[in-house]
Amino acid sequence: MSKPLVPADPRPTVDGQHISGVQCEECGRASAFVDARCRRCQGAVRAAQFGPGGTVWASTTVHLTVDHREPPFTVAYVDLDNGPRVLALVNGEQSVPPQTRVNLVGEVQGDLLVEVAADD
Amino acid sequence: MIEPRPVVVAGVGTSGFGRWPQRHAPELSNEAIHEALADADTTAADIDAVYVGSVFGAPGVASRVVAAAGLAGAPTYRIEAACASGTVAFHEAYQAIRLGRHERVLAVGVEQLSTIFGGAIVPEPTDPEGRAGLALPALYALQADRYLHQWDQPGSLLAHVAVKNKAHGALNPRAHLRGEPPSLEQVLQSRPIAGALTLLQCCPMSDGAGAAVLSTPQRPDRDVTVLGSSFRSGNLWDQDSDAPWGFECVASAAAEAFEDAGLTADDVDVAEVHDAFTIGEVLTLEAVGICEPGSGIGAAASGETALGGRLPVNPSGGLLSRGHPLGATGLAQLAELVWQLRGDAGQRQVPGARTALLETMGGGAAGVDGNACVVALLGGPRSHDPDVGPNQPGESP
Repeated sequence: MSKPLVPADPRPTVDGQHISGVQCEECGRASAFVDARCRRCQGAVRAAQFGPGGTVWASTTVHLTVDHREPPFTVAYVDLDNGPRVLALVNGEQSVPPQTRVNLVGEVQGDLLVEVAADD
Repeated sequence: MIEPRPVVVAGVGTSGFGRWPQRHAPELSNEAIHEALADADTTAADIDAVYVGSVFGAPGVASRVVAAAGLAGAPTYRIEAACASGTVAFHEAYQAIRLGRHERVLAVGVEQLSTIFGGAIVPEPTDPEGRAGLALPALYALQADRYLHQWDQPGSLLAHVAVKNKAHGALNPRAHLRGEPPSLEQVLQSRPIAGALTLLQCCPMSDGAGAAVLSTPQRPDRDVTVLGSSFRSGNLWDQDSDAPWGFECVASAAAEAFEDAGLTADDVDVAEVHDAFTIGEVLTLEAVGICEPGSGIGAAASGETALGGRLPVNPSGGLLSRGHPLGATGLAQLAELVWQLRGDAGQRQVPGARTALLETMGGGAAGVDGNACVVALLGGPRSHDPDVGPNQPGESP
């Protein structure tokens, strides 16, 4: 009996310090989801890259094991500059306050990874 | 143009809530369904259609539930709307009566989580944020982080919601957690889960079922009127969203429900809202307008939302104490409010309760402001005497 196939990874694709997403040619909305059309206005989209700079919208330190992630680890919603809001791991164990400046620095087993900007 | 008809909740029932891996979904549901049918003074033969809310129920669960209850042949709809599944089942049953599609409809919610998860719900791997490990406690902790930052409040205030709801739950013989309620210190010192949320600020994983019979008005002394009900799914939630996740979805559903009912938040005497995590109750009270923006976090600490307070919230113990069998939760909330409005809630009774608010919020899909939210307003039986309910204290259902 054959095994079921593995679904595609739905997380944003990381290329160095950037993620690949789309930007709407009509309303300008940025998205980390690579859709065929804009989710807001249904306009045509073009491929775009976002990062590395961004601002923390909220963060929290998690004390649960979630899949391969051992606690404690910190996740944050980060608004990338002129880009989408993304969920990312924060380098280090401590949560960081909203409005903290961070940089996208890569990925860890497919999870986006940010760290606090040196000049913040 | 169809003239909308008045709709009432004629009967409600629930199972007890807890962890029962040996009890199949049809068995759990039967307990709730037969109580609801008896409460409505009707029989399975009189039911025209069934709406079943369940999130993790196996394929075919609705048909098995309906057949086991002696309702085989009734058109059966299964609804999945995350934590709001049972409430959406109620809402759709309400609309089916209101718009004349059916005469007497059963709404059911059922869930058996104990045989699926050993701990917290595993994030959905086909969702971008689920695959990135965003467990539900973390999602709510992110809400809390933003809220506490916005209003410059200490996270420790959230623990008062757990203290209050667990004190309420201790009075509810059907609650999952009904032991000695914890102190504020015990809540704060329980195991950290995510951010400001400690273990006792998170709902238990529960099994259980709830049911309600809806119809046009039949019995003025028992019918609870649905004054208004709104069902919304979240708009996009992204970098342009300032409010915490889910807030606008709840607020828009509440605004529509109040408009339908011709009421305002000032008219509400008792509420059951979605407190899967303490921050959930705080944000919901602000979103529906019971509390002013930024003041919801102080409502439990001040006693305002406790039994005996200005507007008791979650007298059943809420999800934090009664438990959170996802698909069944909305029907359990509805049952509590029907008992409250009839004066049947025993030790938990809110004296003189005539108008009630029900709110359930479901989430888990990345990029939207909640999968679904239902807000409903309910009015007590016309002959209800607020001071002398049919049951004596201590005889709560």
